Amino acid sequence: MTTPEKASPRAIAWQRRRASMGKVWQEFATNKGGLIGLGFLALAVVLALLAPLISDESGLDVTKAAGQPLSPPNGDFLLGTDIDGRSILLMTFWGARISLLVGFSAAILSVLIGTVIGVTAAHFGGWVSTVLLRFTDFFLVLPSLVLAIALSAVLPQGVWTVIFAIGVTAWPTTARLVRAQTLTIEGRPYIERSKALGGGHLHLIGKHVLPGVAPLVLANTTLVVGNSIIADATLAFLGVGNPAAVSWGTMLETALNNGAVTRGAWWNLLPPGIAIVLIVLAFTLVGRALETVLNPRLKGGH
Amino acid sequence: MSPLLELKNLGVTYTTGGGKVTAVRGVGLRLEPGDTLGVAGESGSGKSTVAMSVLRLLPRSAEVSGEILLDGEDVTTMKWGRLRAVRWAAASVVFQGAMHALNPVRKIGEQIAEPIRVHAPEGKPPSDAQLKARVAELLEQVDLPAARAGAYPHELSGGQKQRVMIAMALACEPRLIIADEPTTALDVIVQAQVLDLLGALVADHGIGLIMISHDLSVLAATCARIAVMYDGEIVEQRPSAELMNDPHHPHSQALAAAFPTVGDPVSRFAPATASPLPPEPDRSAADDRPPLLAAENLRVSFRDRTGSRIDAVAGVSLEVRRDEIVALVGQSGSGKTTLARTLLGLQKPDSGRVLYEGAAVPRGGAGLRAYRRQVQLVLQDPTSALNPRHSVYEAVAEGPRIHGLGADELGIVTKALEAAELRPAEKYFGRLPHELSGGQRQRVVIAGALALEPGMLVADEPVASLDASVRGEILGLLLRLRRELGLAALVITHDLGLAWNIADRVAVMYRGELVEVGTVEEVLLNPRHEYTKSLLAALPGGTAVRTVAER
Repeated sequence: MTTPEKASPRAIAWQRRRASMGKVWQEFATNKGGLIGLGFLALAVVLALLAPLISDESGLDVTKAAGQPLSPPNGDFLLGTDIDGRSILLMTFWGARISLLVGFSAAILSVLIGTVIGVTAAHFGGWVSTVLLRFTDFFLVLPSLVLAIALSAVLPQGVWTVIFAIGVTAWPTTARLVRAQTLTIEGRPYIERSKALGGGHLHLIGKHVLPGVAPLVLANTTLVVGNSIIADATLAFLGVGNPAAVSWGTMLETALNNGAVTRGAWWNLLPPGIAIVLIVLAFTLVGRALETVLNPRLKGGH
Repeated sequence: MSPLLELKNLGVTYTTGGGKVTAVRGVGLRLEPGDTLGVAGESGSGKSTVAMSVLRLLPRSAEVSGEILLDGEDVTTMKWGRLRAVRWAAASVVFQGAMHALNPVRKIGEQIAEPIRVHAPEGKPPSDAQLKARVAELLEQVDLPAARAGAYPHELSGGQKQRVMIAMALACEPRLIIADEPTTALDVIVQAQVLDLLGALVADHGIGLIMISHDLSVLAATCARIAVMYDGEIVEQRPSAELMNDPHHPHSQALAAAFPTVGDPVSRFAPATASPLPPEPDRSAADDRPPLLAAENLRVSFRDRTGSRIDAVAGVSLEVRRDEIVALVGQSGSGKTTLARTLLGLQKPDSGRVLYEGAAVPRGGAGLRAYRRQVQLVLQDPTSALNPRHSVYEAVAEGPRIHGLGADELGIVTKALEAAELRPAEKYFGRLPHELSGGQRQRVVIAGALALEPGMLVADEPVASLDASVRGEILGLLLRLRRELGLAALVITHDLGLAWNIADRVAVMYRGELVEVGTVEEVLLNPRHEYTKSLLAALPGGTAVRTVAER
């Protein structure tokens, strides 16, 4: 017998993984909508991360506001000012930080819960599945906005409460999706082979089921992020959450409550509104593009 | 008089993502009315493409060159309207896999009537009564009661569905029928009935028949001539009996050898494999140890939709000794696979027990895991038995990793792959299943089992989904493993030729029970049970013993 180099199989496996990632990227790159969405998202994330470096946070403080209340867009304030004389451009810029943070964290939380429940229900079947599915159905029929408001009212105010409230109400659709995908994988003969080799539950889930559902979960996550951002804006608009933090939702709320709308100050409403639309649209574009690349059922033709 | 069908220099090229692929080149065939022609070949040889080109049923990406003359008229240049009229009225097709070719939500009577309605002469649609009478007549021709016209496809058995397909093909009284693997999904007894039916219809109505199959003996049973295709070309075309007895082209020889004649001493313990087999080890030493694997009065039952119990396995006792291959044969639905799953501990028996080396197999926990190291499973379809995301190395290393044999994983995997005759092993490490051929995939599955150094393999139809030439190689491997490593095996099959090829003993299963167990020679050459006799009688090639008697 020859003695091959020790590292070869693992190295080959990694090489293979890199190659398949490259293939996914190539296919993704053919989708224009997805590329535009991804570019926009990358820009938004980078700008949000760099916000403290390229702008002055003190401008968000009501007491240090520099401009006149509700002045329309002009040379000093490109998007005008709000009722307290703060720059709308600066507020929209900083609002992205909260929206993205809440969006990502809530999405990860909800996808995590959904994946665990979906995989467990499908893998174990029997009464475990029945109980978990009824549990999922229960959350599915609850009006999630009302539940989220109730949760944020009961829990201490703050951004993590909002994340928690969105996360624990948004998971049931993910759980359903993951369960369906797990069931199709569990029906494949290679699961039977693995069982016959002596593989236990952890082995089956870790080696065969999770890698199989991961692409779908990834595509699903990007879509859930968009929904979470909308949920965050909705909650903030309704006055739930931290009123002190500047987010797109609170900007809309302030504009409505302080009479900016009745005075025709459109520059107070449009920037946060358009920002929400653009960022959610970008996530949806990326999510849909990922789905078509990763979900074989959506691939057209043969 | 012009021939019924004449293909002149037919070529078909498919345009795929990776360029042009020539599926068929330079094929010439001639069929007179009442003539029967078999087209044999492996998957990818172009045989189905030839058949489908006759009615221009090929996908858009196909480019056809040459001439296809149906009753002297060239199909390739026909106008769309004329082509529609020709389809089914002049030539019809019996498709492969009747279960998928019938519409599940429509009664079979309606489906048989559909072509008659479509091809009715202009302005004279047949009345419902006429249609009904014609459907009844067609069903009668295929030996189905006329009352079955009101049945839905799922209410029929596989053989009955195939008969419905044949009735549909006959509906417009075509002069040519193309049957694409009409019996592939059926088991031997039903296959014999369908073949008899096709043969009788051709003889009675003077219809031309083109039959496509990978199994030469099936073709020889029905067709007067056989054309063997290989790599898009016809390599040999001769009368069936001549070709079966003395195939010239190496590929025809391989096809003929792949399906051995039961009772022919030449093919006993000699599957069609290119590499030589080791000699039979000395097995005279008395073995007083308990049998390696034994089932005692196993009983497994399922509940059907109505809630009544059905015994899939009804009191089976079976022994597999060290160093022997036992073939478990029976029709589909006889409970073979359920028995295998129960032996492996994948299915809990209702009563009875499984003994390994004389000790009862535990039903769970570490004991069951240890048992699974000893008895390994090889599945029917290697394509689905391997995780498409796992490389060959990962697939083979899966077992050793589960059982924590990590010390020299690379060595174990290399040894297992080489034992399964994938040499050099390193070449295959990084491959993914879809980059391998069917035979190589099955070897990977076998290597994955060998990596645990088991005492026994349970193989469920290990060659049923493989091509003829690969079949012999995989059977040779199983036999070689027994002779070299003393690896026992329980091979589940519906194919008596396989049992004759490699098995030491045969167990015949019928409706959940073992009706006959004995050495291969006893059971196959001198069957005692009626069911075994009917299985043997249904073999399309017949058995050597019977052939001798007939001479």
